[in-house]
Amino acid sequence: MSTAATVSPGARFIDPKVLVRIGSLELAARFVVEGFINGLHKAPYLGISVDFAEHRGYMPGDDIRRIDWRLFARTDRFYVKQFEADTNTNFSVLFDISKSMSFGSRGVTKLDYGRYLAACLSYLSTKQRDRVGIVTFDDDIVERVPPSAKHFDVTLHTLDKIVAGRPGALGPSLYKATEFFKRRSILVIISDFYEEPEKVIDAIKPLRFAGNDVIVFHVLDPAEVDFPYDDAGSFADMETGRKIPVVPDKLREEYRKLVQEHIQTVGQLCSRNRIDYAFLNTKVPLDHALFKYLAMRHRMTKVR
Amino acid sequence: MSFLAPLFFAAIAALGVPVLIHMIQRQRTEVIEFPSLMFVRKIPFHSLRRQRIRHRLLLLMRCAALALLIAAFARPFFRSTALAAVAGGSREVVVLLDRSYSMGYEGRWEQAKDAARGVIQDLAPDDAATIIFFDSGASSSARSTTDRASLLAAIDEAVLSNGTTRYGPALQLAQGILEDSDQPRLETILISDFQRVGVESTSSILLPPGTVLTPISVADDGPTPNVSVAGVSVQRDLFAERERAIVTARLANRGTEPIDDLRVSLQLNGRELESLPVSLEANGPGTVTFAPFTLEDAAMPISVAASADRLPQDDVFHFTVAPGDVVPVLIIRQPGNAGSASTLYLRQALAIGTSPSFVVTERSATEVTTAEIAAAEVVVLNDVGLPEGAIGSALTQFVEGGGGLWVALGEGVRWPGDNLDLLPGPIDGPADRDGRGGSLGFVDYSHPVFTVFSTPRSGDLTAPRFFRYRPLGIGPDTSVLARFDNGDAAMAEHRLGEGRVLVWTSTLDTFWNDFARNPIYLPFVHKTVEYLADYDPPTAALTAGQVLDLSAYPAAAELDVSSPNLVVRNPSADRVDTGGDGRPGFIDLREQGFYEIRDTDAPGTAPVLVAVNVDLSESNLEQVDPQELVAIVTGRAAGDRFVGEQRDLRPEDLERRQTLWWYLLIGALGFLATETVLSNRLSRAELDLDD
Repeated sequence: MSTAATVSPGARFIDPKVLVRIGSLELAARFVVEGFINGLHKAPYLGISVDFAEHRGYMPGDDIRRIDWRLFARTDRFYVKQFEADTNTNFSVLFDISKSMSFGSRGVTKLDYGRYLAACLSYLSTKQRDRVGIVTFDDDIVERVPPSAKHFDVTLHTLDKIVAGRPGALGPSLYKATEFFKRRSILVIISDFYEEPEKVIDAIKPLRFAGNDVIVFHVLDPAEVDFPYDDAGSFADMETGRKIPVVPDKLREEYRKLVQEHIQTVGQLCSRNRIDYAFLNTKVPLDHALFKYLAMRHRMTKVR
Repeated sequence: MSFLAPLFFAAIAALGVPVLIHMIQRQRTEVIEFPSLMFVRKIPFHSLRRQRIRHRLLLLMRCAALALLIAAFARPFFRSTALAAVAGGSREVVVLLDRSYSMGYEGRWEQAKDAARGVIQDLAPDDAATIIFFDSGASSSARSTTDRASLLAAIDEAVLSNGTTRYGPALQLAQGILEDSDQPRLETILISDFQRVGVESTSSILLPPGTVLTPISVADDGPTPNVSVAGVSVQRDLFAERERAIVTARLANRGTEPIDDLRVSLQLNGRELESLPVSLEANGPGTVTFAPFTLEDAAMPISVAASADRLPQDDVFHFTVAPGDVVPVLIIRQPGNAGSASTLYLRQALAIGTSPSFVVTERSATEVTTAEIAAAEVVVLNDVGLPEGAIGSALTQFVEGGGGLWVALGEGVRWPGDNLDLLPGPIDGPADRDGRGGSLGFVDYSHPVFTVFSTPRSGDLTAPRFFRYRPLGIGPDTSVLARFDNGDAAMAEHRLGEGRVLVWTSTLDTFWNDFARNPIYLPFVHKTVEYLADYDPPTAALTAGQVLDLSAYPAAAELDVSSPNLVVRNPSADRVDTGGDGRPGFIDLREQGFYEIRDTDAPGTAPVLVAVNVDLSESNLEQVDPQELVAIVTGRAAGDRFVGEQRDLRPEDLERRQTLWWYLLIGALGFLATETVLSNRLSRAELDLDD
């Protein structure tokens, strides 16, 4: 949190617990995003924009309508105006609503956290006049809202009625989702990724290879990261129901190590496949998560 | 350290219980739901879940409590002498305090009591003690008590007795107490003047092994002068038809110095009749004879007292003198000088004797009267037959009424054939023995007449020679007391009515035998006449410590010993129980002096007096070396002391005495209590943390 404050001293970090008390998703999203955007005016980074971003040399096949004639007049070379994004980009959230997402040790479940994150991003996209949609899945596609400029409310409604109840499986459900996005889209995947990193990537890669701009939000509860349990007892897997007697003191260090390795591996694999990856801890305020995401998008835009 | 019940240590496995509790007590029963156990499953499984022990201090306390409980049930005890002594080296102390009358010798008694008090006051709090007072018997106060006050009170209340010293009964009582004791150290303290006379009774006594016998002597190291009145003899005679007594007292000087002008007095009822000086040699006896005095109608309490010395108990001798200790004898003989000569030896023999005195009346068969027969207790028909007529009938009646008849068969005996009731059987004519004559071949020594000859060197009854006798037929109801060596009866007894008839088949003079010239003749005549007169010698004095059976006491023959009106008073004038329930008429004679027995239903009659003296063997103050006595009763040589040595006790006794289990149990309870407090605090602290 202190790191975020240093990075964005003007940002108002919203505690997820506060967001939970706000009944309306739209209100909560607006509360986050508006404040966030206001804070950005003083921020050193520019946000994503549908405006002009850069010129590049004309390549055969480029739309000649994008040639900047004024620059040609000055330099006698063809340059193409390139914009950062299309104003009418599809924006879809792929939201993992498997049973494990209903876990929360601090009053805020990962599902709630992801719900607000999705709402905020959708709101942000709507503000940019993107078409927003959502796909919820566990071990299969549960519900799908196709991206549309008019689907913001439906998206929020879908988010609002999500109930996590079944075991999850990324592979088959994301493979099915690949069929939904024929047109290049910005896809935000929100999940806890309780699968082997290779399997996670294998599940996401088809989306990426279909030309989508994929952003992965890896959401975990602090308890899943720190494993703060003291007393020995039976731990039950929320999805499989399997119980294992556990002595946390003896496992903690090894568990933390495995979790960190898992996070790092997933992140590394995502980077290799040009997939944006962001790890979110539900104890971190939501606007900080947004800020982290947008900063990352900005850097990648620069790189790109 | 050893254990009485080591099998309880099998329960040491129970120590696993608190460990198990510690490992499982905090295991939650609720199930923690976790998003995914993917990572948990990756961690290699270790059997770790019950390996963690929480609150090690609590665990240690619980284990310690259990271990102490188990050890307590195993009943530990120390075998080591030193450790056992530390755990409890208490003693069983038996104090033997001599209270025989020799302890009254100038200050010994107080010195002995002070020594006993010192022993009691030196007792440790855990020591058990018993005080045994002994003389010829032994009695104890409270046995094996730690109550010093009662022991000291018993010493304060103790008084001297009139008994003699006998160590045996006291040591035997101590032996029983020590053998019953479970104390590790046994001690006996003998406080006495260590007279040698008491040692003989210790021959069969051996105190338990390990017993320390400590003698404390209160005897003087120097000479112990002592004079005692050893006894009296009373001679009687008749003066002016009144019976008189002449008392001669024997005295003994047991000191090493001669004594001159010792005053010895004769006392009647405490009144001095006469006092005479006497000189005694060192370690020598002496006698003093007082002037005769006339006896009264009743028994008289007489005392002979010497001047008091350091041991006053034996300086006086009490006795009773009663009139009437006389046996009237009527001798019927043949008339004339021949008859008188035949009674010579018999008459002379009966003239000698004081207890009883024989008053002899000699008559010829023609002179005797029925009144004389009736006045006699014994009638001797010396070589005469049964007179005919009234005299014969009077003799028969005399015998039937309880009189004694002695018939000596000689030449002149003519017995009427129609009156053989007085004889055992018919009498034949004289029978002669050839050569040196015959002798007595069989004698019934169990008969009172011959009992006096029964012991060796008490007279040779086979010495007299018999040359002639009158064979006597023996009837079925007749017992033969003596036979000649040819088998014929020499003496036979026949009973008629309540009387007795003794028939001597030879003469009582020297015509037919030489019996009268033998030394045994005199006692034979005396015993025969005493038997026929049914004479019981009066008892002049008894000894302290005896129990008097009134029914067997001649002087009390007329008393009803079972009467509730019988009153007995001791020399201190206190009333004495006469034996209690079931055994009336028995008196425990404890005091020196005169006991008075009176029947209150017969106020006019004179009381029966019983004189009681101390046993004079006690006045011999010769000492035995205390270490010699120790050696006798402990089985160890004198000087072989081992104070503080522990005896070998059984493990049960060791454990029961040490009772270490009690301390272990307290320790266990202490641990459990502390554990309860501590665990409650820890539980509350954890609950606060959970909230």
